[in-house]
Amino acid sequence: MNLRTPIFPTWCPGCGDFGIWGALKMAITELNIPEEKLVVVFDVGCSGNMADFIRVYGFHALHGRSIPVAEGIAMANHDLTVIVVGGDGGLYGEGMGHFIAAAKTNVNITVLVHNNQTYGLTKGQASPTTMEGVITGSTPFGVIEHPVNPLGIALTAGATWVGRSYAANIPLTKDLIVKAVKHDGFSHLDIFQPCTTFNKLNTQAWFIEHLGQLPTDYVPNSKLKAWEQSEREDKYPIGIFYETNKVLPFHKRLPNLDKGTLISQFPTSVDLTAAMSEFK
Amino acid sequence: MNNWKIAGLAGAGIAVTGTLYGKLAMHHGLHVFSYGEYPSLIRGGHNTMQVTTGEHDITTQQKILDVLIALNADGITLHKDELDDKSVILVDKSQVKLDWDKEKLSGTLIDLPMYPISLEVTGSGLSANMVALGASCYLMGFDITILHHLIKETFGKKGEEIVTKNELAATKGYEYVKARHLTAKQNVKVQQVDQIYLSGNEAVGLGALAGGIQFYAAYPMTPASSLLEFLADAQKKYPILVKHSEDEIGAINQVIGASYAGARAMTGTSGGGFALMVEGLSLAAITELPLVIMDGQRPGPATGLPTWTTQADLQFVLHAGHGEFKKIVLAPGDIEECFTMTKLAFILAEQWQTQVYLLTDKYLIESSMSVPTFKDKYSNIRYNIGVDLPEDDTYKRYVLTDSGHSLRSVPGTPHGLSLTNSYEHDEYGYATEEAAMSMAQIDKRLKKLDNISSYLPKSILYGPQTADITFVCWGSTKLVMQHAINLLNQTKKDTANFIQLGCLAPFDSSEFMELAQKAKRLVMIEGNALHQAESLIREHTGLEFKERLNRYDGRPFYAEDIVSYITGGTK
Repeated sequence: MNLRTPIFPTWCPGCGDFGIWGALKMAITELNIPEEKLVVVFDVGCSGNMADFIRVYGFHALHGRSIPVAEGIAMANHDLTVIVVGGDGGLYGEGMGHFIAAAKTNVNITVLVHNNQTYGLTKGQASPTTMEGVITGSTPFGVIEHPVNPLGIALTAGATWVGRSYAANIPLTKDLIVKAVKHDGFSHLDIFQPCTTFNKLNTQAWFIEHLGQLPTDYVPNSKLKAWEQSEREDKYPIGIFYETNKVLPFHKRLPNLDKGTLISQFPTSVDLTAAMSEFK
Repeated sequence: MNNWKIAGLAGAGIAVTGTLYGKLAMHHGLHVFSYGEYPSLIRGGHNTMQVTTGEHDITTQQKILDVLIALNADGITLHKDELDDKSVILVDKSQVKLDWDKEKLSGTLIDLPMYPISLEVTGSGLSANMVALGASCYLMGFDITILHHLIKETFGKKGEEIVTKNELAATKGYEYVKARHLTAKQNVKVQQVDQIYLSGNEAVGLGALAGGIQFYAAYPMTPASSLLEFLADAQKKYPILVKHSEDEIGAINQVIGASYAGARAMTGTSGGGFALMVEGLSLAAITELPLVIMDGQRPGPATGLPTWTTQADLQFVLHAGHGEFKKIVLAPGDIEECFTMTKLAFILAEQWQTQVYLLTDKYLIESSMSVPTFKDKYSNIRYNIGVDLPEDDTYKRYVLTDSGHSLRSVPGTPHGLSLTNSYEHDEYGYATEEAAMSMAQIDKRLKKLDNISSYLPKSILYGPQTADITFVCWGSTKLVMQHAINLLNQTKKDTANFIQLGCLAPFDSSEFMELAQKAKRLVMIEGNALHQAESLIREHTGLEFKERLNRYDGRPFYAEDIVSYITGGTK
């Protein structure tokens, strides 16, 4: 599978985006989806700049608005594999409302969040996941709020697959992307990544110290247990927090999509008789 | 011509009574126009439905009422000015407390015990409106069996008992006025006229279906909500998908996503919701994706007057979206144009890879009218979508061409991989900041619509070819102007005609000027305070209007006011 474009990444040396980029390409190769059946919707941010670096049917959307574009694509053609690539600023900040709504809708898309706990592309302001007390360009007295718990939000909103990875662990990230994509419904993978230029707190060394594992006997079938793990701050566990196949995805709950994808049912002929009958 | 109105508290069944009355008239072969006024409340505010009927040329409401059904005291006091000597007022004095001796009302007042009759025959007062409807049926000379048939159709879903009760209440109302030998109009002969009775929103919905709509995403907002509901219901019969989105930003981006994936897609809203969509318009422009949007105008700023009408979003819609790009703005002037222009919008959007707006307003999309039944069968073909793309993967989504047009590829199509990009991009869609390519892509998008004028609705002259006065209007004002020029020309031949602007962008100056130059006295008429279409005309033609009529109190124009402007000569 040829995933290469003529453009080489413009990310800073050591950026976590490289790891996620590599993991995504490996996952796509492993998933072995025909190249025309995959769409990646990119948000605007450093992560979204991947749009130029990977050869796919790509849509580089507006900042914070990649999820509704992906929903529209998946609703119009549920035969496609639809992946969103975005950052913590776009998806947990500007686009948080869409994130929650899409999780509730359980539309079959996979949302990969490059969570570097900063706004990289606008040079280091605080993001919704920046830790309390961190001084940034937009928070000269330090961030005064507690960061959001994105996994907890996804769980509460109704996401049916929730996981977390770490960008430098490429094999794990690849595995989790594969599983998230294979899940039939809304899957959310939060991926911690260092921002070598603007995040001086959450560095590679910090992650080595603070990342942890889910309990050895952990089974990801309980929302409550998943939520408890998502709230942990002693160590940040990585892995699959929650998955369920008990909730049907959006496209399996609509009779009009039983006959095939929406786009396959293009109305070459329309008879208005039924629609006009109530106006008689 | 007959003018009937029912007025009372919200929640008293005003709307359904009006609809039944309108259909009753239509089933007698008459032409019908109905206009409702209501506050932004669910219960308790003052509601009215006004139905004007006649044998021909019924396009708007009229001021003076033939029949007024007042379900409460406001129903009388707020509508005194609409009565004359020939008016008949139906009121239930047992329910409406007014100092009747002091109320100086024109016309004949009939004390119709709607509430007691309803209570007697149905066990509740809920069918008082049906008693009034039955009485109206007699007074207007309509056939009660047709009313029964319509009641059955309307309430059938609620069960046999409700149907029977409502039929009985209507019959009692009919008999009550008949037994008292109250003056009835001559019996109206039942004529078979092939008509349908529907609102502007419903006509937009039918036009969308005829034009091949597949995806509609929207957030409810008056007066566009009934379009969402019409299309949502149509999912039961047509292969479409309707998404009630989390907000208007979600809606526009979902529509853009669906359009990218190959579905014919649309959204609809009113000014406030449209304001939220604006960023998305710009996205649709740079990605060159087809998009159909209805803005059903209501007065702003902000929440404004939610349930009233305006034409004040014109300049906003024309200029909405950051960056420079072109759009098509169509302004349907009546119910049939709601249908034809919506259907056309889908074709134009796909063919020209552009965004097409339907600029409507509360008056147009929530009023109902009888129109000749639309043709039932339509066929659709796809435009400018790449199917057999070169196997060597040399396809370029944004290839620079003389016309500015390039084939789009829909995901799922082999060898069509490309980037659809919100950033300025090269021919493949990859982001570029290079000066020459940036300008070339902007030029590509701008010149795309250069030769579109022959595909767009024209400015049309209505009325006599030459007249003393030529009005210029757009959108729903057409409904009123048709009646206004009839009134003026009945009094004196060739007094007035009018030009309707059907397409506001791209604006065809030469076509408009050809008509305007023949005018002896030009009067601009539009429903806003800042002369928005007048400014548009001046911007494109240099033409300065010396006379204008503007209304911006949330109410539609009335033909009578236009006539008195001309004949009274004041203002």
